[in-house]
Amino acid sequence: MARATTTPRPRLAVVKLASCDGCQLMLLDLEDHLLAIAERVDIVEFPEATSHRSSGPYDVVLVEGAVSTPEQLEQIHEIRREAKLLVTIGACATAGGIQAMRNWRDHDAFRAAVYAHPEYIESLATARPVADYVKVDAELRGCPINAEQLLEFLTALLTGRRPNLPDEAVCAACKRAGRVCVMVSQGIPCLGPVTMTGCGALCPGFDRGCYGCFGPREQANVTSLSRGFMHLGRTPAQAGRLFAGFTGYAEPFRDVITELGGVPGTSPAETPPAAGAVAPAAPVAPATPAAAGTAPHPGGRR
Amino acid sequence: MTSVTKSATGFLPRARFQQLIDLLVEDGRTVIGPKVADGAIVYGELRSVADLPKGMGAEQRPGAYHLHDRGDDRLFAYAVGPTSWKRFVFPPTLDTAESRRDENGHVSFGRVRHEIPKLAFLGVRACELAALGIEDRVFLGGPYTDEDYRARRSSAFIVAVQCAEPASTCFCASMGTGPGVRDGHDLSLVELADGFLVSPGSPAGSALFERLDLIDAATDQLTAASDQLVSARDRIGDPIVAAGLHDRLLAQLDSPRWAEIAERCLACTNCTMSCPTCFCTSASQRSDLDGHVAVTERRWESCFTKGFSAVALGGNFRPRVQDRYRQWLTHKFASWIDQFGTSGCVGCGRCIAWCPAGIDIREELNHIAPPPQAALGNGHAPEGQPRATRVFRVDAARSETHDTVTLALSRPEGMDWASEHGEFVMVSVPAVGSVPISISRRLPTGMELTIRAVGPASTMLTGLEHGAEVGLSAPLGRGWPIEAAEGHDVVIVGGGMGLPPLRPVIDEIVEHRAKYGEVHIYHGARTPGDLLYTQELAAWAARGDLDVGVTVDRADQHWLGRVGIVTHLFDHARWDGSKAVAFVCGPQRMIQATINTLASHGITPDRVFVSMERHMECGVGLCGHCQMGPYFVCKDGPVFSLAQLGDAFGREGI
Repeated sequence: MARATTTPRPRLAVVKLASCDGCQLMLLDLEDHLLAIAERVDIVEFPEATSHRSSGPYDVVLVEGAVSTPEQLEQIHEIRREAKLLVTIGACATAGGIQAMRNWRDHDAFRAAVYAHPEYIESLATARPVADYVKVDAELRGCPINAEQLLEFLTALLTGRRPNLPDEAVCAACKRAGRVCVMVSQGIPCLGPVTMTGCGALCPGFDRGCYGCFGPREQANVTSLSRGFMHLGRTPAQAGRLFAGFTGYAEPFRDVITELGGVPGTSPAETPPAAGAVAPAAPVAPATPAAAGTAPHPGGRR
Repeated sequence: MTSVTKSATGFLPRARFQQLIDLLVEDGRTVIGPKVADGAIVYGELRSVADLPKGMGAEQRPGAYHLHDRGDDRLFAYAVGPTSWKRFVFPPTLDTAESRRDENGHVSFGRVRHEIPKLAFLGVRACELAALGIEDRVFLGGPYTDEDYRARRSSAFIVAVQCAEPASTCFCASMGTGPGVRDGHDLSLVELADGFLVSPGSPAGSALFERLDLIDAATDQLTAASDQLVSARDRIGDPIVAAGLHDRLLAQLDSPRWAEIAERCLACTNCTMSCPTCFCTSASQRSDLDGHVAVTERRWESCFTKGFSAVALGGNFRPRVQDRYRQWLTHKFASWIDQFGTSGCVGCGRCIAWCPAGIDIREELNHIAPPPQAALGNGHAPEGQPRATRVFRVDAARSETHDTVTLALSRPEGMDWASEHGEFVMVSVPAVGSVPISISRRLPTGMELTIRAVGPASTMLTGLEHGAEVGLSAPLGRGWPIEAAEGHDVVIVGGGMGLPPLRPVIDEIVEHRAKYGEVHIYHGARTPGDLLYTQELAAWAARGDLDVGVTVDRADQHWLGRVGIVTHLFDHARWDGSKAVAFVCGPQRMIQATINTLASHGITPDRVFVSMERHMECGVGLCGHCQMGPYFVCKDGPVFSLAQLGDAFGREGI
């Protein structure tokens, strides 16, 4: 008959670099499907679920986290050698994540500000997405990734079709869901037009602008959108800062942040007011470089 | 107290408006109408008159929408908001088909039928009635139809409301669709200070009209209604000149303005999603982990998304945002008229207000195609049919090259095959999806399909063996006009996978050889290993009455034949093209080179036929993906004469 269905179960590994583990937890979040997946996929490495370790080679490796330390740099090259299919999952692995905020500033100063003994800390000057170092076969975006997309990816893998991971703006999902555009009706800056969908337009459903968790979509027109934010009353630096979230280090968000002076970790005096507020509000920016990761988001109620 | 009036217009006092809702509910309908949500007036379920936006107004500008309190009792004193009625007749996501594959490889395909809710639309504006009329043409104009749409559309009861407070973004008067309600409704309302003038528009509307506690409409009320309409029309003005816009716009395909708009355009899809007539869709598969049971989900899609115009191997016919904006605007205002006999725009202004970048379509039209009215005919909905998928069986699978396979497929018993004509079929595999494949030979029992493994679906198809089942649509599209070649010399040029679609033409010539003059067949491939039908090519050449030429781009050590692009086979040929008809298929660049060479032999564009490649999803002109200028490549093509394509051939970004 048409297709052999008795192929051996693909060996799947989940590995983490610099990350919070939230993305790999989404695999466990597929509660109803977990047993069925485990029957069809040999999960040989999954630190959040089992302490059992297995060596490669692997058919599929889901990599979570940014490359932030010399050790992780070595590890990612090792994983690439062992993986037939290397799939990065989440904002850290695909865009650098929150930790990539440090890439704009002095790495040593951060280290000195955070740790009592910075000399014990080995880290790279920049935290970068995996694709900056090795070839990546597929990406699941988001902070965290979307469980349905993960299931879709695994199903497509098992059935041999192309996964349905649309590269369209969040706006498309937002409008299908029947949501009202928060930017047009409420003047709330929203990264939806330049951000890849995948979350089901979660934030606009709660009267907030999109934070850009899924990162830039193809041909994201950040220049035009940042002009729109300025039209809503933001200064250029504030408009740029709105892009500096979970995926701020991804092109072209990175460029517009730098170009408009919205670089994270600026001093309170230069800091934009709370994003989303129509009238200038009290600064919420980090007082020390250590807190630079707490990027303001573009959303927020009126 | 009250009297039931038999005249065409009655008056419903404001205090009795709930009665209208109650009667609709009494008839078992869910009433959908305007209500305030998330800072806008949207359409949703209404249970009582209290759900309506009493005293609310909406200020609309490019990229901005703001509600305000009018300080009066009016229920409909605002123009259309972000929701359009298409949501209720053409749902944003819909499961359309189900496919199955059992343990033994048997496949089955079926439509998903939905229970159709009985709805009443309350507060439909003139522009929205026009939009529904346009959708009727798109989905029910045939020959293939969307039966889910038909069911939803025909079950809805429509209560229209006359516009009294147009927004600055409105331009229905320019598009000839409003503000006055003319037809397409069951009941129409005109809101006045103290109540509503009510008129029936259909037999169902008349029946409801009779049940309302109406009083006679006074002359001053009729005058007030008329004044209100004149005032609305005056405020809308006539911001664009629709007459002649079709030609003016298509004359500006090279305007520098397209690139300027693309600098502002976010390609975010808000315009197309909020548009009441945009109808494009994509389909994807949702299955269990084993792919045994799969559902096809159809969803609203937008021509502003890059993947919309993507084809196999990473190609894209509209790679730039400027190409996509041009496609959208020229489709809406020009090629839509060629396709459906009406403009695709009703002038509702949603795309202006809901564009986060504030792009004003009126301003762009006046800039690109500065000023003359497209006549709106009455909607028509002849009988049609949905596209069906039937199970065909693989009788044989023959390997052509390392990545290309020819499948012989037999039709299901009892199928009237002789009357099925078309150039290609949509081949469906459960849980994988559908792909368009050209018919490479017609057989009395079915057909042959020659397939190259380029993506997951085609790879799976090339792996099929004897006995396997696949789903096939009826043959679709317009094929090669072989009758145009009778009595003429024939030149057939197939580059790579361009040869399989041409093979039925060669079969016809071989069968009725005497009908044609000289016949030249040219086939080019990348390498000797990529040449198709090598035995057949040799057999055709051996007949002596067919001139067969074969060439490869790159030879190997065993190749003793011609090397070079396919046009080298006939650059210096001595035949006279003035009596010839040419059929050409292959990659776009190969087609371009071929038609230049054919022209040098004197073959005029009306006698050169080419097959065009585009992204196809539905295959029957309903999903919108494959448009090329005024044409749907799937139903108007894929074979066109060069004369028919005109300027559209080879133009970047069409």
